[in-house]
Amino acid sequence: MSARFSPGIVLILLLLAAFVLAAAGADLLSPADPLRQSLLLRLREPGFASRTATYWLGTDDLGRDLLSRILYGARASLLVAALSVSVSLVVGTALGLLAGWFRGWTAVLIMRFVDTMLSIPAILLAVLTVAVLGPGFLKLVMVLGLTRWPRYTRVAYAATLQVAGLPYIKAAEMAGCGATRILWRHILPNIAGPLMVVATSEFGLMILFEAGLSFLGLGIQPPYPSWGSIMSAGRQYVTRAWWLTVFPGACLFVLVLCVNLFGDWLRDRVDPRSRGR
Amino acid sequence: MIRHLAGRLGQALVASFGVLTIVFFVMRLSGDPTLLLVPEGATAEQIAALRHALGFDRPLFVQYLSYLADLARLDLGESLVQRSGVAGIVAERIPYTVELAAGALVVALGIGIPAGVAMAVWRGGMVERLLAGFVLTGQSLPTFWSGILLILLFGVHLRWLPTSGADGLSSLVMPAIALGALTMSTFARMTRIAVLDELSRDYVSAARARGLSLGAAVARHVLRNAAIPVVTIAALEVGNLLAGAVIVETVFAWPGIGQLAIQSIAARDFLIVQTVVLFVSVVYIGMNLLADIAYAVIDPRIRLDR
Amino acid sequence: MRRLLLALPVLALTAGAAFAQPKDTLVVDMPGDVATMDPHLQWDTESYTVYRNIFDNLVTRDVSGKIVPQVATAWKYTDDKTIVFDLRSDITFQDGSKLTPEDVAFSIRRIINPDFKSPQLSQFDQIASAEVTGPAQVTLKTKTTYPALMAQLVKLSIVPKAYVEKLGDQKFNQEPMGSGPYRLRAWQRGVQSTLDAVDTHWRGKPPFKTVTFRAVPDIPTRLADLRTGRADITYGLSPDDAEAMKAEKALQLLTVPTERIAYLFVNPTATATKDKRVRQAIAMAIDRESIISALQQGYAKPVNIVLTPANFGYIADIPGWPHDPAKARALIKAAGAEGATIKLITSPAYDRRLNEAVQQMLGDVGLKVEISMTDQPTFLKRRQGTPEEAESLSQGRWSCACQDADGVIFPLFRSGSIWSKMSNPAFDAEVDAARVTLDEAKRLSHYRKAFEILREEVPGVGLFQNVAIYLARKELKWTPTANEAFFVTDMKWQ
Repeated sequence: MSARFSPGIVLILLLLAAFVLAAAGADLLSPADPLRQSLLLRLREPGFASRTATYWLGTDDLGRDLLSRILYGARASLLVAALSVSVSLVVGTALGLLAGWFRGWTAVLIMRFVDTMLSIPAILLAVLTVAVLGPGFLKLVMVLGLTRWPRYTRVAYAATLQVAGLPYIKAAEMAGCGATRILWRHILPNIAGPLMVVATSEFGLMILFEAGLSFLGLGIQPPYPSWGSIMSAGRQYVTRAWWLTVFPGACLFVLVLCVNLFGDWLRDRVDPRSRGR
Repeated sequence: MIRHLAGRLGQALVASFGVLTIVFFVMRLSGDPTLLLVPEGATAEQIAALRHALGFDRPLFVQYLSYLADLARLDLGESLVQRSGVAGIVAERIPYTVELAAGALVVALGIGIPAGVAMAVWRGGMVERLLAGFVLTGQSLPTFWSGILLILLFGVHLRWLPTSGADGLSSLVMPAIALGALTMSTFARMTRIAVLDELSRDYVSAARARGLSLGAAVARHVLRNAAIPVVTIAALEVGNLLAGAVIVETVFAWPGIGQLAIQSIAARDFLIVQTVVLFVSVVYIGMNLLADIAYAVIDPRIRLDR
Repeated sequence: MRRLLLALPVLALTAGAAFAQPKDTLVVDMPGDVATMDPHLQWDTESYTVYRNIFDNLVTRDVSGKIVPQVATAWKYTDDKTIVFDLRSDITFQDGSKLTPEDVAFSIRRIINPDFKSPQLSQFDQIASAEVTGPAQVTLKTKTTYPALMAQLVKLSIVPKAYVEKLGDQKFNQEPMGSGPYRLRAWQRGVQSTLDAVDTHWRGKPPFKTVTFRAVPDIPTRLADLRTGRADITYGLSPDDAEAMKAEKALQLLTVPTERIAYLFVNPTATATKDKRVRQAIAMAIDRESIISALQQGYAKPVNIVLTPANFGYIADIPGWPHDPAKARALIKAAGAEGATIKLITSPAYDRRLNEAVQQMLGDVGLKVEISMTDQPTFLKRRQGTPEEAESLSQGRWSCACQDADGVIFPLFRSGSIWSKMSNPAFDAEVDAARVTLDEAKRLSHYRKAFEILREEVPGVGLFQNVAIYLARKELKWTPTANEAFFVTDMKWQ
């Protein structure tokens, strides 16, 4: 067991834990109120010290402490990504399993619906839906989750088809195992690998997706920060105040990288075919 | 086979129809363009008069039926904002989008697939980590920021490439990289997994036992079998490319349908949005049909009638 | 990848050639594309910017904002509702045909014809008729006495009757032809519009051989275009963008205080702001000086009322509310609204920072402000909807493009207007009276009374007079105007 925890994966797990802790403990860790503005201290560079406080990562265009905003932003970004990925993973996988197992008309119905959903560019659908529903945290999660599930369905469907044809599943079926049991015990673990890969890369994409909606003005609502909203507000200052995009950008990069590498590692572990190698 | 394809085509038509219906109603629920068109001082009566003149005061299902009736006559309608045929407006933008998507796919596949194979072959080593970091860069930075950085570096600082617009190949380079980078890592990772899967199979061990080198085994057997999941993803990614194009096209002032769609949503120019979505869905569904056929060709184990 | 890298220097050479700017062209970066080329249809900034250079106008404004002749040489009122225009007879359209009084009358009748569905109709619908009354004369009749008529006519482009009737409206929109100093050479949708100079134009040879209007939606990209010489002038920049570009030696900032007023709408009939004391407290809580100096970086002028000095009807000596957070807090407490939550509705079209600054300033005096953002069409629907839909607050940047108080406070605060959530008979009487007299002194006294009522009632707080910011190459000589017009003929290379 211990052999599988290479130093690399330990580092990745530590970094991920650090992100989660930073997000969870933003209230305790933040040196300042992330919403408190000071118009006289706009766009100060990192390390700037006023009479009352030091702004380690500088201030934004309304004179708010960037470090505190990034910490609170981690919370919003991680929550949005985690929740929306969960929604789409559950919905998508369930439908994909059903389609792959029952095939026939069930599969046709589900997969054509998937095609319908997939063929509408997700960002357009999201923009339209936000326009109708109005913005808001939960609505955002639902919009993201419910526009992205078809990707899981596609992968789950294809993988189920492949696995269902394998001899040992046939054997289990003949041994009288119920469909639920086979799906849950035999097929799901076998297709979890590809799903995990999709989920982990979607996790990063969801953070970016929220950022994209922020760019269009429809993401997490001001004054509350998310990494995406900090960056989309900061991009205007890319030559004048680099820190507004570089720090949240670096966080985003490291997080997405870690999540993806973690996904690859996880995939290698859960995939029975690669076990024991 | 033919019967199967005909069936799939029929289903595809239903799917496109579903897309149209969803978009039609979601768009209408979000209001109409009248308020955006009138001068700021217009009175309620003047606004109502224009709304009536433009036909937006009719019940939704009447508008829907009239749209379908036009569509049945292959008439995509007239943009009420631009006062011009929708088909022409969208058709003018399509070549730009095709160009951009092709460029992006070249970047994504050209880098992603070799990187994925390399990551699988040199699994666990430094090469894999470096490559993983490299292919993920594109996917972990928001395009609206990385696009600006590209413009500042290659356009403003080095002056190698034009900063915006769509004149010729030189303006395509940056948008294609920005868009391709978004999907590059998906291709690389899918390829890596598929190749790893195949490498662990008995036939590879057998081939290697017969003295075939790893490189030859990969080239001769593995890539062919690994292509299935990659093809699936490629078809999926076309949809993703078009979504990513919305922001890339805005940042680089690239006049494709992504930019057109987002601006038309903002302008509530319904018919343009519907036509763009219809086009995208037809392309997408077509790509998926092709992918289905490709499965059968690459891997006879998956029969089409399943 | 390697091949791509090798290809780069080659591309660099071709791209580099485009940077050398011959001085008889002008390239304009606009935030969007033209919606319609027909000057009687859309009038969004981009369409307006382009087609106004293709057409002549009945009258125009000079740099100081005075209405001066263009196609019309002189005009006089024969009674309160009738105005006679004498026209030039030496103007030809770009196809060589003469511009006649028929064309002028046709242009007016076309835009006021309800069947034409012009979005601009509401600006011209006070005109009852336009008749040719002489070889070089057109007579307009208005439905009522209408002092804003001349200001509205500044926006009227003259189109060629025969040509429009021959092509039909839809084709004319694709291939516009007018009597202006530039003709349309090509319109690549979503990319650019290219205009060629009409060398024999009656107002003299235009300053640039060709003018290209490009559609570049993203601000940082437009700035990059300016820095690399890909474009010569752009607009739609924020004060922070302007500050960042100050260091660029090849560029200059051209600024002008405009007739556009930045204001905060405060709902007088719904939510916690129904209480007059709360509205007055809001007026006192907002630190307009900091907004102008810190947020706007000085690219704004203070105002005391919801109107700019560039408009007729501006009353300079009505005192604005002072910045007094302590008094504001006390008033809110007295009104029992302390800790109340109110909503500020907005869209991405409005300055995000200003919204957040207002939120903080009101938070400091005890009002919890929630910002609710939707896209522009939904925002307009809410803002123009019932008082409840409009919520407590919203930001606005208002310009009627007519430089007259009638185009500002009438639609904003007159009861019955879609923007107004106020119903104040005394105010209504004043603005109604100012609307139907041509006597300027009388109108001013009506507006004085109207603004006194507004000061007391606070259905809106004037924040500042907007300053238009243009970024251009240093060699471009141009004086921008308060009505944000973009006439290429007023510019030239030094």
